Amino acid sequence: MGPKAIDVGRHPNIELLTYSEVEAVSGYVGNFSVKIRKKARYVDPEVCNSCNECAKVCPVVKPDEYQMGLGSRKAIYIPYPQAVPCSYILNMDDCLGTTPIACGKCADVCEQECIDYDDRDEIIERDVGAVIVAIGLDVYDPTELDDYGYTRFENVITSMEFERLICAGGPTAGHFIRPTDRERPKRIGFVQCVGSRNAAIGRPYCSNICCMNTIKDTLLLADHYPDLTNTVFYQDIRAFGKSFEDMFQRSKEAGTRYIRGLPGDIEEDPLTRNLLVTVENTTTGKLERHEFDMLVLSVGVIPPKDLAKISGLLTLSKTSDGFFLESHPKLKPIDAPTRGVYFAGFCESPKDIKDSVCQAGAAASRSGALLNAGQITVEAITSYIIEDACTKCGACASVCPYGAIIWEKGQFPVVVEAACAGCGCCGATCKSNAIVMRHFTDEQLIAQIRAILADKPEDKVFVFACNWCSYAGGDMAGISRIHYPSTNRVVRTMCSARVSEDMVLEAFRCGAPIVLVSGCHYADCHYINANRQTVKRVQRLWNKLDRLGIRPERLQLEWISAAEGQKFAKVMVQVEELRKKVTKEEIEQTIKALQEKPKKQRKAKSAKQTEASVSTP
Amino acid sequence: MTKKESFRCMMCGYEFEEPVEPGEDKERTCPMCRSNSIRHMKKRAVKDKTGESDE
Amino acid sequence: MSERQVDGDLRIGVFVCDCGLNIAGAVDCAAVSEYAETLPDVVCAVRNKYTCADPGQNEIKNAIREHRLNRVVIASCTPRQHEPTFRQCVLEAGLNPYLMEMANLREHCSWVHPGDWDGATAKAKDLVAGAVARARFLEPQVEMTVPVTKAALVIGGGVAGMEAALELADAGHKVVLVEKEASIGGIMAQLDKTYPTMDCSI
Repeated sequence: MGPKAIDVGRHPNIELLTYSEVEAVSGYVGNFSVKIRKKARYVDPEVCNSCNECAKVCPVVKPDEYQMGLGSRKAIYIPYPQAVPCSYILNMDDCLGTTPIACGKCADVCEQECIDYDDRDEIIERDVGAVIVAIGLDVYDPTELDDYGYTRFENVITSMEFERLICAGGPTAGHFIRPTDRERPKRIGFVQCVGSRNAAIGRPYCSNICCMNTIKDTLLLADHYPDLTNTVFYQDIRAFGKSFEDMFQRSKEAGTRYIRGLPGDIEEDPLTRNLLVTVENTTTGKLERHEFDMLVLSVGVIPPKDLAKISGLLTLSKTSDGFFLESHPKLKPIDAPTRGVYFAGFCESPKDIKDSVCQAGAAASRSGALLNAGQITVEAITSYIIEDACTKCGACASVCPYGAIIWEKGQFPVVVEAACAGCGCCGATCKSNAIVMRHFTDEQLIAQIRAILADKPEDKVFVFACNWCSYAGGDMAGISRIHYPSTNRVVRTMCSARVSEDMVLEAFRCGAPIVLVSGCHYADCHYINANRQTVKRVQRLWNKLDRLGIRPERLQLEWISAAEGQKFAKVMVQVEELRKKVTKEEIEQTIKALQEKPKKQRKAKSAKQTEASVSTP
Repeated sequence: MTKKESFRCMMCGYEFEEPVEPGEDKERTCPMCRSNSIRHMKKRAVKDKTGESDE
Repeated sequence: MSERQVDGDLRIGVFVCDCGLNIAGAVDCAAVSEYAETLPDVVCAVRNKYTCADPGQNEIKNAIREHRLNRVVIASCTPRQHEPTFRQCVLEAGLNPYLMEMANLREHCSWVHPGDWDGATAKAKDLVAGAVARARFLEPQVEMTVPVTKAALVIGGGVAGMEAALELADAGHKVVLVEKEASIGGIMAQLDKTYPTMDCSI
């Protein structure tokens, strides 16, 4: 990895911004505009020559994150010896103070004069055509699994801490010792699936890497210390990759004992500080007791904590395990649902280094193809305004999540087509039907509603679903073969905000017993926040139905993500139950109540359409 | 000021109160049945800035 | 190929896909196809074994020419998967891609209602009727072309981010690599040896 990092650092085509975070992303495929916060590091990485004089005089001692807290660092430090950029950094939270009165020792000794206490965060803006998301993973913290005694018993360590203890560059210079007495342990136990395949703690998935990592650890120990005995407690050993099974066999040949069963309880002998493990051996069905000098918890991996933030910036979704949702689990595993965004590495799903490198290559190839194309076509689903019908009220401009409609009082609004993403919120909001959504016109959608409900509407649940999430959730239910009642009829719009009051009322007017409006969860809305308008509209519709003497419960609202096939199916079962309670008489009364108030004409757009009329139900 | 307001689940009929922050942007879920059909039981629906009003 | 003009009477063709047994195993595709023929402005309804395969696509193209179709409804799988395929298909037969509409008989019907033959078939008919009704109002559209900024952003400087950045940079693209920590390297920099080669991680 070191050579790769060095290549990245010196590649003329790569602008490396470390200690930096993406703060905002706007635009769309091919034309993203990105704001990046370059945090103050107080040391100029271009000038620093890593002489270490500053750290020598720094009086602050802190646990070293790189060494998993097993070693220490100063307030001014280099993250690790091979860091890229090869520069020190001053952690201002740890620093005594930047005024010479408080301390200022590091700046005094720095011959390069690269320490600047007045350094400030900087906002950098860059335009890019493609985005690759490679935000990695976090490691599971097993403290919550109290039975395993992590943090209570010092000789219980995690597999990450093991890495540092066995590493020549670690705090013990690679001498493998146990924390309590700094003696070399003779009997090591490994516990698998710590934070993985455990539904009770909300981590039902396999972390993919821990079996092989433990096998590697046992081989390392057997190689360094032939007198040492290793025991691994596991549920299943998943050695499925190229040459993995061979490593597993070698580990067994090297004397590692594999016991099928996870420890129920771990106790510490107060005198020896050894660990007493009680385990049900599920192969023999017998309860066993084992004593170890040291126990390694093979911890799982979890989605990185920045995932929600990046999700919000790029309107991405996650699967039930918390990792990013891809466009298609088999056929488009690299592409994010947002066009022009690609995934590399762990953040999409647990995978090892080889698979991460493979996926990174694929992501580079996918985005390279986009960049090479030089131009792209954008779906013709944008809106335009019919000035003859427009009352210049400006409501459309106020709801547009993209600010793509320019309006000044007394003027006709103007749609900036390049900025319009086609959610259709403006079209559904316009009271005077002066907005046409290309390819999702009122006429098209109303005709679809009428046709679907033309025959025996009382048997049907009418569903509006947004393209990106709830419709895709329906697809996911299909792909996963989750069965649900066949009474629902789904109409797709790009966003739930495209569904106008009139469309919902039209469905009721056509005799629908139940209408469901469904869209993305708040965090997933693919049109920034257009679905907030859906909420407002449904709220108004509930009030309106109430006033018309129509049970508002007959209109339902649900947020279903593209990954929530289960939820889609569950909701379909629920709305079917609601449908059964709606009587024919009730439907007839509804149709009457809605016909008593003659609806406004869709004059403006009827004139625009080549087709004269829509068949009535 | 945060004040409690009442909500009604349109799926299961459960009624509950929840604090509503001014300007909040919150996805609501029924504490009983997890439905998102949560009706804000205001005395009078407030006219919002979109110009779409309650008649 | 120049696009054919679509003025004049509506002439809709409906193509019902069996998808092997994926759809035909749970939906009466013959009945759906027969029903489609009765819908307004439908001039032909064709049942295909696999609409997305070359023979299926050729049937669509031939029917567009033979029946002078100016709207096409494809009742097969989710538009989220094959809409681009079929837009391209009708375009190759000279029809504007936006004059094609899909009905999702697979993900939203046959796969979720197996064993409910009548219910699934009734639903399939409605979905086709809805698609045909919508198709009657479809209009040709012209897609806007926008330029692409020739640079990429890579978020995260672990092994995946580094690899992606290097690949793109080696291919001659400008790359901005953003890493939140003070050094790139990610978790891999903290590992000692890595499987399956047992060599140094860093």
